Amino acid sequence: MSRARPNSGALLGLTLAWACTAALAEDAAGQAQATVPAATTPAQKKTSPALTPAQWLERMNHALTTRNYDGTFSHWHGGHVEMLRIIHRVQDGNVSERLVSLDGSGREFIRSGANLACYLPDRRTVLVEQRPPQESLVGFPAVDDQTASFYDIREVGRMRLNRRDTHVITVSPRDEYRYGYRLWIDASTAMPLKTQLCDAHGRIIEQVVFASLALPVRIADASFRPEVSTLGFRWLRTGTAAPLAPAAPATSAWNALRLPPGFRMSVRSAQVLPGSNQPVDHLVFTDGVASVSVFVETQTAAVAQAPRAQSAAVGSSSAFSTVVDGHKITAVGEVPLATVQFIATQVKAQDLVPAGVPQR
Amino acid sequence: MNEELDSQLSAMFDDQLPPAECELLARRLSRDEQLKARWGRYAVMGAVIRAERGVRLNAPLAGRVSAVLLAEPALGAQSLAGALPRRGLRWWQPVVAGALAAGVAAVSILWLRAEAPSSVASLSARLTTPAAASGASVIPASARERGGRADSYVVPPSPAVPAVVVPSTELANYVVAHSMFSSPVARRNLLSAFMTSEPAAAGAEEPPDDVKSAAQ
Repeated sequence: MSRARPNSGALLGLTLAWACTAALAEDAAGQAQATVPAATTPAQKKTSPALTPAQWLERMNHALTTRNYDGTFSHWHGGHVEMLRIIHRVQDGNVSERLVSLDGSGREFIRSGANLACYLPDRRTVLVEQRPPQESLVGFPAVDDQTASFYDIREVGRMRLNRRDTHVITVSPRDEYRYGYRLWIDASTAMPLKTQLCDAHGRIIEQVVFASLALPVRIADASFRPEVSTLGFRWLRTGTAAPLAPAAPATSAWNALRLPPGFRMSVRSAQVLPGSNQPVDHLVFTDGVASVSVFVETQTAAVAQAPRAQSAAVGSSSAFSTVVDGHKITAVGEVPLATVQFIATQVKAQDLVPAGVPQR
Repeated sequence: MNEELDSQLSAMFDDQLPPAECELLARRLSRDEQLKARWGRYAVMGAVIRAERGVRLNAPLAGRVSAVLLAEPALGAQSLAGALPRRGLRWWQPVVAGALAAGVAAVSILWLRAEAPSSVASLSARLTTPAAASGASVIPASARERGGRADSYVVPPSPAVPAVVVPSTELANYVVAHSMFSSPVARRNLLSAFMTSEPAAAGAEEPPDDVKSAAQ
């Protein structure tokens, strides 16, 4: 399957033109949803004190994780632009989400609670992952006082976008270990209508612009069914969940000896990935905005034959894999390649489990 | 100038020349005036292209490179006052300026090329303070200052990242697993990028033997 890669500038302009002519439809009843944070009604807006940029980020994250929404957006990266649709629903505390590539591969990602399914029609494969139930509510990186040491977070103005009043918030990295963001956050709903990912020099490396966005009160279950026919597809499922705590006391644990400034371990877990029978140690490091996952696998024959170091890019995110003491270490995160490379090469087995690390 | 050399220069400017060849060519650049002039033309063209793209040379980097040039007799001596007599503006002065810029660019490219593979080592050298909660070490507070960011670490530009055009199933697993721990915006970006990454060619990846597979 091949796709044309037209001139990025022209397409970006076209994308923005679409965005400007598109409407953000909001269900009136939806504004009154209990899950929506403050300042969602005109009356509240008049009396609400001005929010700090960090509070806008908090509101945005809250809106993205608690609201119902159905939107179409353009995703631009590396000179290529593609349209996607995202549908997100929170119903009785259960999160459902569907992300569909509207052109190109036709891939779909569907989440229903702790069940994640990735439909890859170009591979005729479906990946199905069952997360531990508690992880379906796992917290994302939270901006705190320490975050300000590594990012300059500020509001740079207000702008009309899609005929909506938006607050333009910039999250600028103070060094080159991480990326930054420019966010156009809807003043009423706190939904980000446009986001840009930028490197430490402010250069845009990825952009998402909503062309349409609706916030319905209800979204039917049918909206979370895949469009792709899976007839004849391979289904790769997670095996039996690995015990979260080993039967015998652990004599060593994987940890990063050194980290880029501001990064700290937030989660340590063991899981089985689709298509594998081996449990994988999963460590998560975050600086409050970016996060990096490190996966540690016991070296198999396939791993042994693979090159010792490999790198990959998924959009602006980076992945780096290496072999340490007979284990394959892979770091993945929305950070520059050198950052995941550094973290991966610093992961070693240590004799003692450090105190204070959350266990899942 | 032969075609091969010209091709090497072009490749070097595009950051496509292998490091070993790059080093040899750089040595030759330092003593071959004709080659240096040729490089100057590439640099001017490159600057125009960069300007069109809205990309600027990192100012601290340019400053560093200039400093290196001034301290480097082979490249810097002829670029100073002696090479530019005060005889008023001449038509060729922009060319000389271009050559000077070329010298800067030459050093900057070499500097970047030399720096990229060792970026991890450079970082390692700066990481010395024990960490508190995670048992890891972090960079000293002084290293966080923005002024020091160009010292030894350069973010690889996106196009230079060796991309796996066809994400492997394994990578897909990692991406999906990681996405659960990303911020909502980063998560959406990551999954979107995965959704839109280049589709696999038919038969590009065969399933591993030990894979658990079942028909629905």
